Amino acid sequence: FYHMDLYGSKERFDIFPEELSGRGDRSLGDTRRESALSSEKVQRPQEVGYDLEKEVAELAKMYGLDEDREKELELLEGHLEKVESRWPSARTEKAGSQGFIYNTSKSSSLLKDPSQSTKQQGLPEEASQGENQSKARADDEAESNIWSREGLSSSGMSDEWNSQAVLEEEEEEEEEEAADVFCSTCKIPIRAFDKLFGEHKDHEVAQLPSAVESEKEAIHKNMCKLEEQIAQMENVASHLEEIFITVEENFGRQEQNFEVHYNDAVQVLAQKYEEQLEALGEEKRQKLETLYEQLVNCGKHLDTCKELTDETQELFLENDKAEFMKTLIFSPHNYRLEEFLKKEVNLELSTQPDFEERVIDVSEVEQLMNSINATPAPCAPVINPQAPNAATGTSLRVCWGLFSDDTVECYQLCYKPVSNERHSDEQAEHTLKVKETYCTITGLLPNTQYEFWVSALNASGISPPSERAVYVTAPSPPTIKNKRIQSCENAALVCWESRDINPVDSYTVELSKLTDEENDIITESIVGIPNCEVLIHLQPTQKYHICVRAQNLGGSSERSEPVLIHTTGTCFYLNDDTAHPLLAILDDGFTISCDELENPECDLPVYDNSFTRCIAILGSLIPFPGKHYWEVEVEEDTEYRTGVAFENTPRHGHLGANNSSWCMRHIITPSRHKYEFLHSGMTPDIRITVPPRRIGILLDYENCRLSFFNADIAQHLHTFNTRFQHYVHPCFALETPGILRIHTGITTPPWTAL
Amino acid sequence: MALKQVSSNKCFEGFQKVFEHDSTELKCKMKFGIYLPPKAETAKCPVLYWLSGLTCTEQNFITKAGFQQAAAGHGLIVVAPDTSPRGCNIEGEDESWDFGTGAGFYVDATEEPWKTNYRMYSYIKDELPKLINANFPTDPERMSVFGHSMGGHGALILALKNPGKYKSVSAFAPICNPIQCQWGKKALGGYLGPDASKWEAYDATQLVKSYSGSRLDILIDQGKDDQFLSAGQLLPDNFIAACTEQKVPVVFRLQQASCFCSPWLGYDHSYFFIASFINDHIKHHAKYLNA
Repeated sequence: FYHMDLYGSKERFDIFPEELSGRGDRSLGDTRRESALSSEKVQRPQEVGYDLEKEVAELAKMYGLDEDREKELELLEGHLEKVESRWPSARTEKAGSQGFIYNTSKSSSLLKDPSQSTKQQGLPEEASQGENQSKARADDEAESNIWSREGLSSSGMSDEWNSQAVLEEEEEEEEEEAADVFCSTCKIPIRAFDKLFGEHKDHEVAQLPSAVESEKEAIHKNMCKLEEQIAQMENVASHLEEIFITVEENFGRQEQNFEVHYNDAVQVLAQKYEEQLEALGEEKRQKLETLYEQLVNCGKHLDTCKELTDETQELFLENDKAEFMKTLIFSPHNYRLEEFLKKEVNLELSTQPDFEERVIDVSEVEQLMNSINATPAPCAPVINPQAPNAATGTSLRVCWGLFSDDTVECYQLCYKPVSNERHSDEQAEHTLKVKETYCTITGLLPNTQYEFWVSALNASGISPPSERAVYVTAPSPPTIKNKRIQSCENAALVCWESRDINPVDSYTVELSKLTDEENDIITESIVGIPNCEVLIHLQPTQKYHICVRAQNLGGSSERSEPVLIHTTGTCFYLNDDTAHPLLAILDDGFTISCDELENPECDLPVYDNSFTRCIAILGSLIPFPGKHYWEVEVEEDTEYRTGVAFENTPRHGHLGANNSSWCMRHIITPSRHKYEFLHSGMTPDIRITVPPRRIGILLDYENCRLSFFNADIAQHLHTFNTRFQHYVHPCFALETPGILRIHTGITTPPWTAL
Repeated sequence: MALKQVSSNKCFEGFQKVFEHDSTELKCKMKFGIYLPPKAETAKCPVLYWLSGLTCTEQNFITKAGFQQAAAGHGLIVVAPDTSPRGCNIEGEDESWDFGTGAGFYVDATEEPWKTNYRMYSYIKDELPKLINANFPTDPERMSVFGHSMGGHGALILALKNPGKYKSVSAFAPICNPIQCQWGKKALGGYLGPDASKWEAYDATQLVKSYSGSRLDILIDQGKDDQFLSAGQLLPDNFIAACTEQKVPVVFRLQQASCFCSPWLGYDHSYFFIASFINDHIKHHAKYLNA
């Protein structure tokens, strides 16, 4: 809201654009404002008159200058009439927009010395007024031109501005020669003439432009200060807003606290009261019952007494002496009476009217009250979900929070691995006590889910446990299959295996180009690889360190052991799945041998993918277009086939005998070494005088060729020109016992280019 | 050593030209064809010498072999000289097609009446390269030689007798062992005299047996249905056997149709056979000349 007020409002624009437009057009533009101020009485256009009039009246009243008012008004009105006739149309246009600025400027000047400035300036200038006016009239036409010019040049401004600028200009043109110095004493611009002869004679004056400059500088400084303060205040305001919210929250919390505890207390008291009252009532009932019973007994006794009395009286009435005696002795009455009289009459009160002394026991409430002021057992903490990168392969950082203000001495953190198996109860729960609201647990298994829950403890007891949160440890670093790296000058195919049982989310491959300068290692990453292999584009003749990280929700694993890749030439490996049972790969991985051709004694295991007829093996060549070159070292008397084949070339056939393989074959006839270049069982008739010991093979997908060379002497032997429909793999076969040594990673020799 | 241009034709952005000059070695006017590739306008180019076979002039190769495109592509100057001195008015020079005119056999004759003019070996080895290097933008250090039939024989002996002079050599159906064949016996006997031991200096198979110079990479193409092969005039097997013995690297290709559509018909001795494989040969030489 500050911004709106200060930077968006018209008041600000009042100051600057006005000056700018003036400066652009006229050298004296700067003086415009000042001249307008100093000559307000004479120059003020009629539309301002009303405001002025009113304000002067008010001020005059304020200063008790009523007697001057009439004179001034006369003066003003007279002037206004004259001016009005000059500005018939302009008035309506500008009336609305002009008021305020003149109000401000005027009031500022008036406040300093309102009556004086109006009076004192008004009189001397009245004399020159006639002159000014006639001049103004002459300028009239010119000014109307300027209006339109101004309007056009300042098209970016609002209409208000246009009209205002024009207006200012008019004033200033009329007054141009009027004010050129600034009276520092009176703080008003004056004419040099006035300095010499007028009332400002003894005042300190400065050249108007310099005065303006210094004033502007001061204004600018103040503006800066104001802006600083605005920024400051905005900060404070937003801070205060936060404080407001905090106060609200604190209040709410306290209020809730009070409500809970006082309710508890009231409930306890109410319960006590009920209990006491009930006990009292019971006692009363028992007392009354006892008394009633006693009363009933009394009544019965009384009845019996009366009955016996009556019977005795009857006996008295017996006149017959003998009879009397007889009756007296044998009558049951007599016995009854005796029995009755034997009985003692209990006249004591069976119960006391006083009630038991009952103590009003508020100890419980006191306890409750004490417990409020003391520390209650804490509420359950809230455990946070796992934060990214808070895990390593063997550790987890677990965080939780307490949403109440309870005092907590420590937390009790429990965890156990999440297990899908039934007997997961057997999994030991671990418990540890922690002071902080976080804990890093170490010694965990990689890429494993753990369940965590936490309780808060203090002197009063233990909170209920939090919800259970499942965290997962980062995976173990994968292992790059060193012997399964395929590369060429422009790419590498790297594969690896995860060391974890549980699946991971993805893998990240990091590659660093090793340069000669040690510290200048350029590293880039390939992220989000879903599988355990990736084809990486590289630059030729460089060295790269490549490592892999596994990624899951918990974070990323450590780097795998790096592998070094030289992009000097093509590297492949021999795919032992395809090897004929009689073919052995020696320890170096690139020498194949065959000791005997037939071995009917034992049934060697045959894999699904292995060659069954030809003692052959396929290499695994990177599926990447471009050139690939490798060499095969052979003995002079070894019979072999070598070349390329599609991955699915028939395993039961001979290499070169079908249309899915291309190879060079060497056989020894009784007369000579015979070389064949076989595809679909056909070969050109070629004789080679020097048996190659090292065969260079160039596979060039782009130029559709497969060439064979005697690499020792750079001799071209044969080229198959064919467009390979699929990627091919190197193939090697032995037809007699012997060995073939395969060399990879060789830079393609220049003489292979044809 | 003034050169006279006989013809000039734009060909694959370069020029196929024929020049005539007075040969000091042969003491007669000689013509040669020269192909200047577009690259020769701005740079020095290697030179590949083509030696033609019996009865040929400089025209056969430049009009029939279709080598210009490959030569333009690899930036090679190809020079095709005539096969013998002409118009020397030697008795019997025009009597047969396999001796005398058109059958110089690339030897320096020692017998009368041939020894004055029939010095084709020296002409090809020295005079012609000097002339070419003096008049065309060549790189004198880089030259190779190839030829057909008798020219193939010439190419092989030039390379074998001058180790290091030629960067590479190749041949189409060369006469590999002239001392053993009718053509050779007639020509060598005529030019060198009846002493067969002197012939061995111009026999590729004999030369290779004692070759011990810098490494040569020899490419030989032979049509399978070449009538002169079956007539025993070419005898490549002898040469290959000698090369195998001496471990001189040769790739020898017996060319026949390699697909089922042609009923096992091979190439013959003609320029059609040459045209079929000329690109392979140009490439073979370019590999060494442009290395």
